[in-house]
Amino acid sequence: MNITQLPYLKDIYAFLGSDVTAGIVGLLIIAAIVPLNVAFLVLVERKVAGHIQLRPGPMEVGPHGILQTLIDAVKLLGKEMVTPQSTDKLIFFLAPIIVVAPAFVGFVPIPFSPMMQIKDVNVGILLIFAFSSISVISILMAGWSSNNKYSLIGAVRSVAQNVAYEIPLLLATMSILIMTNTFKMGEIVQAQSSVWFIFYQPIAAIIFFIATTAETNRAPFDLVEAESELVSGFHTEYTGMRFSLFFLAEYTNMVIAAAMFTVLFLGGWHGPLFPGMIWFLIKTYFLIFVVMWARWTYPRIRFDQLMNFAWKVLIPFSLVNLLITAIVLKVL
Amino acid sequence: MLNPKTIDDTSIDQRVYTLNLGPQHPSTHGVMHLLVTLDGEVVLKVEPVIGYSHRGHEKMAENRTYEQFLPNPARMDYLSGMIFNHGYCMAVEKLCGIEVPRRAEYIRVITSELNRIASHFIGAMDYAMGLGAITPFLWGWDDREHILDLLEGITGSRLTYSYGRFGGVRNDITKEFYDGTRRFIDRLRGRFWDYENLINQNIIFIKRSKDVGVITKDVALDYGVTGPTLRGSGVNYDVRKMEPYSAYPEFNFDIPTREEGDCLARYQVRMAEMEQSLNIIEQALDHLPPGPIRAKVPRLVTPPKGDCYCAFESARGAVGFYIASDGSRIPYRIKVRAPSFSNLFVLTEICPGHFLADVIAIFGSIDVTVPEIDR
Amino acid sequence: MNTPSSAFTEYLTEILTGSKSLVVGLWITLKRLFTRIVTVQYPRQKLTMTPQFRGHIEAIRFDDTKTHHCVACGLCARICPSHVIKLQGEKVRAGALKYGHHYYIDFSKCSLCGLCVDFCPEQTLKFSNEYELVFYSRWDTVIDIMDRLEKSR
Repeated sequence: MNITQLPYLKDIYAFLGSDVTAGIVGLLIIAAIVPLNVAFLVLVERKVAGHIQLRPGPMEVGPHGILQTLIDAVKLLGKEMVTPQSTDKLIFFLAPIIVVAPAFVGFVPIPFSPMMQIKDVNVGILLIFAFSSISVISILMAGWSSNNKYSLIGAVRSVAQNVAYEIPLLLATMSILIMTNTFKMGEIVQAQSSVWFIFYQPIAAIIFFIATTAETNRAPFDLVEAESELVSGFHTEYTGMRFSLFFLAEYTNMVIAAAMFTVLFLGGWHGPLFPGMIWFLIKTYFLIFVVMWARWTYPRIRFDQLMNFAWKVLIPFSLVNLLITAIVLKVL
Repeated sequence: MLNPKTIDDTSIDQRVYTLNLGPQHPSTHGVMHLLVTLDGEVVLKVEPVIGYSHRGHEKMAENRTYEQFLPNPARMDYLSGMIFNHGYCMAVEKLCGIEVPRRAEYIRVITSELNRIASHFIGAMDYAMGLGAITPFLWGWDDREHILDLLEGITGSRLTYSYGRFGGVRNDITKEFYDGTRRFIDRLRGRFWDYENLINQNIIFIKRSKDVGVITKDVALDYGVTGPTLRGSGVNYDVRKMEPYSAYPEFNFDIPTREEGDCLARYQVRMAEMEQSLNIIEQALDHLPPGPIRAKVPRLVTPPKGDCYCAFESARGAVGFYIASDGSRIPYRIKVRAPSFSNLFVLTEICPGHFLADVIAIFGSIDVTVPEIDR
Repeated sequence: MNTPSSAFTEYLTEILTGSKSLVVGLWITLKRLFTRIVTVQYPRQKLTMTPQFRGHIEAIRFDDTKTHHCVACGLCARICPSHVIKLQGEKVRAGALKYGHHYYIDFSKCSLCGLCVDFCPEQTLKFSNEYELVFYSRWDTVIDIMDRLEKSR
């Protein structure tokens, strides 16, 4: 009497080993780890900002300020979630939720190591791009429903910026996709086992980096939430936990963008001594450090110059790059 | 697009809206209220609203003796407190005919120039912060901290100095001040490269400052603009050279001027002025004469009946103290000509046609101290 | 004349010089990332004040009389722009100068101008080094400096 011959146990085993379970377990792990990740990143940003500006950053809470974000989260939980009177209530309520949900889903196809990937989706890259475009509508919802001129200006700017910078992003990715002939992220990493793609496609890497900095609304493209002009941009009217959801979404988007850069250009989890996951994390966090470093170095670009930069500089360069890649691969 | 020159209240339509860059705002330095009328992102009209920090300094002057008014000038423009303090003492000395010893004049020049450098750190770096570069702002405060420590060593205060007295200064400089200032000069000369390459040569900064907020010579002279704002538009006017006072005729220094009149030119003028101030301080320290630091003046000065106007150059422009005395110990009227008042209203002329982000940049580059506008 | 080829070379040179300036900017910031911080972390580290530092005024103890030299003339109270000083003195014996017994300053209004220190004919006032002053109510800011002089014996 074999245990697999019992009918209902067989179904249970099939269910436990199926993709649905892997998906649910993976998403639960992501939901648990991502806030910790964000807490760590917020602290790193404040410390990096502090030391660049010759000051120590948070130092009081915990040794060298390690517990700062935790206490900040507790404080934000305790704040009253004010809803101004003449806002559009449903949209105001939905906007933070919609901005955060795609950020979590974007973790599904990312290969942290040869075995740790929730699901090697057939169209992995396309999935991430599609979900990150949803956050644009949520920013517009937040800016519109706040009934505040500053928020509206910020939201309108962000829609134009995000839509404009999607194009060089996709064109730079296409240069890689032509080389590997697949959308699956696991296979793209496998294809870099000898040489990382950044040596084959340096210009595409730079364009990708600049475009993701613009997509995640980080400086020098952060005129959406320009502190010195628009007070706080589209999330001026959000308080308490709603504000922290926007924050969470911004940093999670940054992590996903850095992870994509690692997978596409820096060889994913390849590396000499350590296991794959450690290398993946090292590369991702190094990229996030570079993004933060750029934030505290450069001033902000004005809106029309931003559009000029995207249409007149990034898109021609990425098109030329794509053309050259295609010619080299197909002709030679 | 609506024509900025022909906008008025009757041509308002759906697209045009008014934004309050309100009294509380992260980048209007002080309580400054700008009513901006916008069409999309293009500015049609800018109207500054002033009066939020009126404290009645000129009224206070009518109820206090000349000595009792000494703390007040430093509070008007707190970033050039020392310059205002010395300027007020100079005005009263001019009215009474008091002669200041040479050593006191040299000390006044040294402390005024240190104060000018400190104020330019805030003025120039505040402009960079309005554009979004927060880091050089904090580096500027670190360099400014050295100046404040030096000045605290001799006067005891860091921001609102009551160091000058009628006939000289309150106490002499110490050896620590002398050595510290020498070290500071060498240190600051090494720092300019950092600021130059992080800000001046940065392509993003140049693109945001070049040809933005151009003040032509005629507009500047019409509005009575003075200071680095005027010198950035090509007019070579500095009160220290045009109507020399105190010990300035004995030093040789240049007046940096730029021709373009945009925000980049004004920023460069401020940075160049800092270097010139270092030259003046060095010359003054080299030739510091010995002697008394305060003339013999009666305890309570009683100027003769009459009035006088005394002009001097603060970090923001030409300041004037007009004192009308009726022969008693209490002045009849003290009127202060604040440079920020004239400089501010150039905004109404040059902002229309620019973007909203540029309004903040232009406002930062004019370097206004709001409490000086409404004393 | 802006021929197409010169406009194109202008475009390229702008991109190249722009990228170089961006990289140089990053290098400057990186250098500062690894320098020591300049913050003095109060209250764990404290700075000493310079001798000229302007805290609230206090009376000097002179060596010959082992106490202050205030004669309660009232010049300081009359010259103070903010009307901060109130004092009271009496003659200890006939034919001598008055002796100041009580001397109150309302420190919440003092602007630290130094006129009282300069105008005192006996030069009996000086600035103290106190900067860690905390009061629980506005009325606590009234300090009696003769009292402080006695207590600091």
